[in-house]
Amino acid sequence: MKANATTSSVKFSAEPEPEAEAEVSPSSPSISALEALSVHLISGLGLGLALLLANNVYSVNLVSHPSLTLLLISVIECPIVILLYSRHRKNREECSYLKAVGRGLVGLPVGALVNSLGAIALGAPVGTQYFLTTIYWSLMMSLFTIVPAVSVFGSSWKDWQRIFAQTNCRPIGSLDFMICLPAHGAIIGAWLGAWPMPLDWERPWQEWPICVSYGAMAGYLVAIVVSFSLILVRASFQHDKRD
Amino acid sequence: MSSLTCAKLILFSIAGVVIQIIGLSLFVYGFFPVKPALSGISGTESFRVPRCNSVHNESEGDLPPDQLKALYEELSGIHPFDRLILMVIDGLPAEFVLGKDHQPPPKALMEAMPYTQSLLANGVAIGYHAKAAPPTVTMPRLKAMVSGAIGGFLDVAFNFNTQALLDDNLLGQFFSVGWKMVMLGDETWLKLFPGLFMRHDGVSSFFVKDTVQVDHNVSRHLGDELSRDDWHLLILHYLGLDHVGHIGGRNSILMAPKLLEMDEVVKMIHTSIIANQDNGQGRTLLVVVSDHGMTDNGNHGGSSYDETDSLALFIGLKNHGSEHASYTVNTVYQVDIAPTLALIFGVPIPKNNVGVLILGTFDSFTDEQHLKALELNSWQLFRLLQAQLPGLSCENSPCESFIDDQGPRKSKCNGNLENMICCLYLNATVLHSSWKSKNVSRSYSRADYSSIVAAYYEFLKTGSEWLSRRVTDKPVNLLAFGVAAMLLSCLILSCLIFHVCKEFCIRQKKNFDLVDGMSNWNLDEAFILGVILIVIISMGSSSMVEEEQYIWHFVTSTLDLLLLRKTMQSLPVKKSFRLYEGTKKIGFQVYSIFVLIISGRTLRGWHQGGVNWTHLPDVSKWLEMAGSNNVKLVQLVSCLLIISLCFFTLSVLGSRRKFVLVVGFTFLVFGLLVLQHIMIYQENTIVQSSSTATLMVQIIFAVLGITPIGTFIALPLVMPISISKKHSSHDSHTSTPDPIEIQYKYPLVELKDSLYVIGWTYIGYWCLLQLMLQQPVNAVPILLILMQILASMIYSSYSGLHQKQWVEIAAFYYLGMAGHFALGNSNSLATIDVAGAFIGMSSYSTLLSGILMFIITYASPILFLISMVMYISVKDTSYLLITQSADSGYLLKIMLALPCLVPMGVNSILLTAYTILLLLMRNHLFVWSVFSPKYLYVCATTVCVYIGVSSVALTVIYSYLVLAFRKRMQCSS
Repeated sequence: MKANATTSSVKFSAEPEPEAEAEVSPSSPSISALEALSVHLISGLGLGLALLLANNVYSVNLVSHPSLTLLLISVIECPIVILLYSRHRKNREECSYLKAVGRGLVGLPVGALVNSLGAIALGAPVGTQYFLTTIYWSLMMSLFTIVPAVSVFGSSWKDWQRIFAQTNCRPIGSLDFMICLPAHGAIIGAWLGAWPMPLDWERPWQEWPICVSYGAMAGYLVAIVVSFSLILVRASFQHDKRD
Repeated sequence: MSSLTCAKLILFSIAGVVIQIIGLSLFVYGFFPVKPALSGISGTESFRVPRCNSVHNESEGDLPPDQLKALYEELSGIHPFDRLILMVIDGLPAEFVLGKDHQPPPKALMEAMPYTQSLLANGVAIGYHAKAAPPTVTMPRLKAMVSGAIGGFLDVAFNFNTQALLDDNLLGQFFSVGWKMVMLGDETWLKLFPGLFMRHDGVSSFFVKDTVQVDHNVSRHLGDELSRDDWHLLILHYLGLDHVGHIGGRNSILMAPKLLEMDEVVKMIHTSIIANQDNGQGRTLLVVVSDHGMTDNGNHGGSSYDETDSLALFIGLKNHGSEHASYTVNTVYQVDIAPTLALIFGVPIPKNNVGVLILGTFDSFTDEQHLKALELNSWQLFRLLQAQLPGLSCENSPCESFIDDQGPRKSKCNGNLENMICCLYLNATVLHSSWKSKNVSRSYSRADYSSIVAAYYEFLKTGSEWLSRRVTDKPVNLLAFGVAAMLLSCLILSCLIFHVCKEFCIRQKKNFDLVDGMSNWNLDEAFILGVILIVIISMGSSSMVEEEQYIWHFVTSTLDLLLLRKTMQSLPVKKSFRLYEGTKKIGFQVYSIFVLIISGRTLRGWHQGGVNWTHLPDVSKWLEMAGSNNVKLVQLVSCLLIISLCFFTLSVLGSRRKFVLVVGFTFLVFGLLVLQHIMIYQENTIVQSSSTATLMVQIIFAVLGITPIGTFIALPLVMPISISKKHSSHDSHTSTPDPIEIQYKYPLVELKDSLYVIGWTYIGYWCLLQLMLQQPVNAVPILLILMQILASMIYSSYSGLHQKQWVEIAAFYYLGMAGHFALGNSNSLATIDVAGAFIGMSSYSTLLSGILMFIITYASPILFLISMVMYISVKDTSYLLITQSADSGYLLKIMLALPCLVPMGVNSILLTAYTILLLLMRNHLFVWSVFSPKYLYVCATTVCVYIGVSSVALTVIYSYLVLAFRKRMQCSS
């Protein structure tokens, strides 16, 4: 199972990887490598902090208390993601910081709905005993995928298409990477994380949504690293070009 | 790039398919052991010399048990024992009792079984290492012990409606001479021999954690049974030791106490036997056997020494103890137990036995009896060899020819197999007959006797080894050739697909200055190919094979989501969604994808298939719990919905045309007929078995079979042909912008219309047939599958250029597989709906019920395959048309090449990959329980693809030819 997981992940990640020489779109605000690092670092650390907190303070973890841990992750990540990404909102003239935060907050449940519907379409169980966990899981997924995009782009369909469907042109600009890659990483990670679920290993983490959450978090973190290194590469590339 | 002509394409595809069929049959023939097949049950003829043209006297089969018993006794001349106690200790390695390599077992084990060891030491018991054949699991081993035959896989697979052992076996023989039998222990015996036991107390081996109660349940009756004298055969099957092994392995701390417990049982039985014998209640033989051994971890199933090392211990053959107790390695085969017991108790040896009388068990008998036993064994084996070796058969029997010219001397045997076996057999029989004549004059010596025994054993061993090798060995050449042929055909088909795709792509580029993204490698295309890889890799793991339905559901819904994303890609950037052509198109596509997703998810939740998670709740369980009335209601509703959905689909074509009306009306009539049948008869088993119901079902079957075929033949003949340039398009959405010239020359529109109706007929009637056959709870999945098909039709009729044809067709194949599992099927043979296969059968027929079973099991893949006819009709391929180069062959190629080649290509890749995997897994623990049943399913899927594709090809070619001919006639007139 592991083997095919990697092969398909190669196929997936091959798609959103953009070419480094694409020029910066005028519509998206430029963002320096340092800022990108701070955004990524803080959101990554927030995730780590949430897991640590769950483990040490509340002494729960994903395997023993999945819903509680997922809730904790969402509660901690929510302000971090919304506040951080709203700072880099598009069209600063038309959109105040508060407005960006507000639409981020609105985007959270909407994104959760989309994510949970997607998960159910892919086979997540729908019983009442899974109801809460599914909600918390989809809140977390929403923070990884939809919320940053909502905070930054609002409801601009063109940008959404560019980020999530790669229509017309590939994602361009550092900010695009910062939203597109972690979102795709989380989704692909969750997709891959679902593979061990039907196996007869009789491990407690095979339950929905434990391994899926692990996969999503791992994918998210890997994508953050990839996104940041891509931004660094681009920055040095442009630096060279200017010289 | 040269383009393949239509004729060449057909030729190559047929060649590929033929090579595949040849390869597959060679592989199946080589891989699955063919059982030495002699049907029937041994009777008195086994006490006569095997001769050709022997008159079969069937009358003795009807003898009452007492007379039969007396007859056997007289014929065999061996009858020292009255009763048999067969004690099976599940999973006991012979090493524990007999030691290994001439060494006694470790001291701890010696002390654990003091009584048995003392019996062995003073020679009352004779122990053997009885080598078991893989798979070392209980049921096949028990079969081997009582029938002496090494069972093949296929006979297990094809006996799925009963687990009972139907072949000739010891217990059956005992039963026929009127023995009363009692069984205590593993309930496997009850499944194997239903109704044979006078008394029984079966225990289940399900609770592996229980090591105490399971054996206590056997022993609690033991004292009582031993004091009775109304039985002849007592079977005790102790499971505890196997459970100990599963929990803690060979060296578990529970092992020694368990062995001690077994030893106590042996002691108790033996004491009681001696007491009975002293009371003059007849002699009883105690045979202690184990069905298989275990590895150090306590597992079993494979073919290592530890697992195959099972025990055969005969207690009471000799009463007088001899001092010499040696731990010599007496290795025999497990199958040898059957003929040995048969000969000791004077019943005919089971017909397909490949075992040999165990050397040393007849030591306490007279020489005459021993030789007689060997002779009987040789006769039985010779008969079996005659059936297996054509060279030995009666027509060209070499043995008969040189029977006379050989004197009583031992000749050197060599030459080919037939001659050697023949010669060895003759050596033994000739020596024996001369001994017999000497015996009369009492002038034989000990040396003569042992030379005869040696000669018999030489023949028996050679024959037996050859026979058992034939069952277990795999002919390497055959397998290699089969795999190579399959690889070749796989290569041919893939090359053809690649070639056709490339050609279409180039053609398309030529026609349009290309739309951006068409040449790119899209995510969904990559995923379609990735699915093949995923499925192949998953087939290497036994748990994934067991849970294959998760893979198909997961990949199909992922594919749906990817298609949704793709559709979103082309959604225009507009604030206001005005209803212009493009948006409407995309809207339809989005709706159809949502239908796909929702019905796919419902299908997934309908049956919790597989092996490990069947206990989880699912919709079908919930419905069944709600009562049969609710199930029936749901079934009726879905039946109505299916009929109305079909009508809606037909009405798209325009209801004013005559042929549409006729086809629709017939469908309505038969739909109502099926509805009425469901309403009255199903669920009501008493009525269903009545003859009127059967007749009714048979009529419906005939009608459902004849009507689509009639439509297929008649429709192209009656289809109105338009000569005018203004054509009536069959579907308002898919107006065909064919160049007028082609349209004038070739009957494209008519073809599309007639294919639409024929495809619709196929789909509709197949659904009606399934409603009749499937379990009531499966009516909704049929409806959902139909909805999926119609949704994908809508999707592909709108996709046009944006979606490559091969992607859509491969997606059809995947959806078909997902539907297959959604109907409750799995990769285990247990889920085949056997009951449905007898609907409408007035008498038992293997062929007919086999066909029905196939139809039920492969409902969904076949439905998706035959819906290709409709797909060809709705998919807009006109962009591939070039006026200059269009001819009939090219037109057919455009329509037919990919819909036929892609399913065959995908299937051949999966088939070949799984064949190679099966070959690699041949020593895997689960090769017979998991991988081989899956292989049967893969083979059946291949057959189903052949059927589907050939019917699609036949339909399209026939319709095209008829319409083209009519068009030409009309134009010329």
